[in-house]
Amino acid sequence: MTAAATDIDLSVPLGRLRLPNPVLVASGTFGYAREMAPFVDLARLGGILPKTVTRQPRQGNAPWRTIETPAGMLNSIGLDNDGVDAFAANHLPYLATVGCPIIVSIAGRDEAEFVEMAAMLGEQPGVAAIELNISCPNVSGGIDFGTNASSCESLVKACRSATPAPILAKLTPNVTSIAEVAKGAEAGGADAISLINTVQGMAIDWRRRRPMLGNVIGGLSGPAIKPIALRCVYQVAQAVKTPLVGIGGIATIDDVMEFLVAGASAVQLGTVNFYNPTAAATVLDALPKALADVDATCVADVVGTLQISPRD
Amino acid sequence: MSNCSTTGPGELAASFYADAARQHRVTITENVPLARDTWRVRFECPAIARTVVPGQFLMLRLPAGNDPLLARPLALYDTVLDAKGQPTGVDVAYLVVGKMTARLSELRAGDELDVWGPLGNGFAAEPVDHLVMVAGGIGQTPFLALGREYAGRRRYGNPPRSVVPAKAVTLCYGVRTVDYLAGEQDFAAAGVEVRVTSNDGSVGRQGLVTAEVDAVLDEAAAAGHSVRLVCCGPEPMMEAVAELAAARQVACQVSLETPMACGIGACFSCVVKVRQPEGDWDYKRTCVEGPVFDAEKIVW
Repeated sequence: MTAAATDIDLSVPLGRLRLPNPVLVASGTFGYAREMAPFVDLARLGGILPKTVTRQPRQGNAPWRTIETPAGMLNSIGLDNDGVDAFAANHLPYLATVGCPIIVSIAGRDEAEFVEMAAMLGEQPGVAAIELNISCPNVSGGIDFGTNASSCESLVKACRSATPAPILAKLTPNVTSIAEVAKGAEAGGADAISLINTVQGMAIDWRRRRPMLGNVIGGLSGPAIKPIALRCVYQVAQAVKTPLVGIGGIATIDDVMEFLVAGASAVQLGTVNFYNPTAAATVLDALPKALADVDATCVADVVGTLQISPRD
Repeated sequence: MSNCSTTGPGELAASFYADAARQHRVTITENVPLARDTWRVRFECPAIARTVVPGQFLMLRLPAGNDPLLARPLALYDTVLDAKGQPTGVDVAYLVVGKMTARLSELRAGDELDVWGPLGNGFAAEPVDHLVMVAGGIGQTPFLALGREYAGRRRYGNPPRSVVPAKAVTLCYGVRTVDYLAGEQDFAAAGVEVRVTSNDGSVGRQGLVTAEVDAVLDEAAAAGHSVRLVCCGPEPMMEAVAELAAARQVACQVSLETPMACGIGACFSCVVKVRQPEGDWDYKRTCVEGPVFDAEKIVW
């Protein structure tokens, strides 16, 4: 018997964090949420990850900062932000009012900066959890924690002991084995593991013999990287028990369901927010029916249900 | 409508931006060539037509498929009125420069587009005797509506913003060659005096548009008219006009074009160096703090 779409429990546990539904929006693709308020009823979202904050203000990289590529885009924004103090003063008060969980994305230059920001933000009203951006390809420093299992473990552990707020670790696909790094995040006590950040890439104007991006190399996102992200989620789901949050080219309800089946407990919509600002609302509208269509009564009923068997 | 009233320093400075912006699936009613590689697409969208002001822009995206993926920021060319004189349609003029604009030029009446807007801040609505609009190439597109507004022919925005009609409105319009001259009759019909320059002398005065601007400013000074400049075009041209405006102590606004992914302030792609009160500069988003800036604030 097919479950009625209205009876489905959309809530999702991610370790100590509980989300009202599995559709979140990814850091760096949703501004500070205020920019998107005309397009999406923010209170409906499973969670919002505002643009990554750093300890000190960062000017970001020189333009051009984005360039379109087939079915995707490269970016090298460079964590342009006003620093954690300005974030807490100017953005958190608004974010605390929008009515959905706010997961603050932070990036430190070293472990001490991560720990300081985690401790400071974890005490702020309106912060539901903290995502450690240890995977931004456009700045040096933080990404080191995302390419080595033992430094990842150490960082997650240090942040976990610095704050009672749930901790998510966001991993980069630009490694030989993302599953090994994920094991480090799990050993460190991450409540959830987000994957993937952008895939390193490049675009060239051969006539001028110049890179298209001001920063030469950038991160590829959008539908072009969805197969890579699905593969990473699948591999990591085999390696750890920690809940996963799938990211990478997710734009439609079918994309969402594919990530859930691959092993993600929740998803973040990213680049689609740029080219279809109402996408999160559209996906949320379609989610209950998609779950009902496969006789699920809750999200967990489909998470990690991929069947690997010989073809008939 | 309160989301933008709590803006922090430097955030969403344009007070009428964003809360009016919506995403729409629209139907094209006309897509016609204006000049070489230059087109004007018209679609019905009363929500945007009622609220947009000159200098604001829209994001246009091809609804089907993922390549091209992103929307493109394109300025309002003008609103289109219905039989009762109400703004219901929108015209956008564009130059075919790449994959998206090439595909856009192949669309016909009945085809659909995804559009969101109106976006950005728009030009100032301050009174002046003589408004001098300076365009290079496709940079003429933001000036048709502005010229019509300052000629006292149409009002824009909701509620309609008040502009004291200027005594004179001039478009100094520089093109590469005569075949790129687009929409000259549209400007004339809107009550705008058009003065054309071309690189090769195939139309108008041969040479740079700045020479024509100098001549117009001399005439305005002789007539005792107050003057404001607005400028849009290639960056070297805008920089030259900004220098000219500073040297002659004439107020000048520039409308910038930068690569954008979203157009709504989310991606932080479209930054330009903007002078800060303390004297140094910071990267600011063209989409939400512009695209119109006081020329003296831009670090070229």
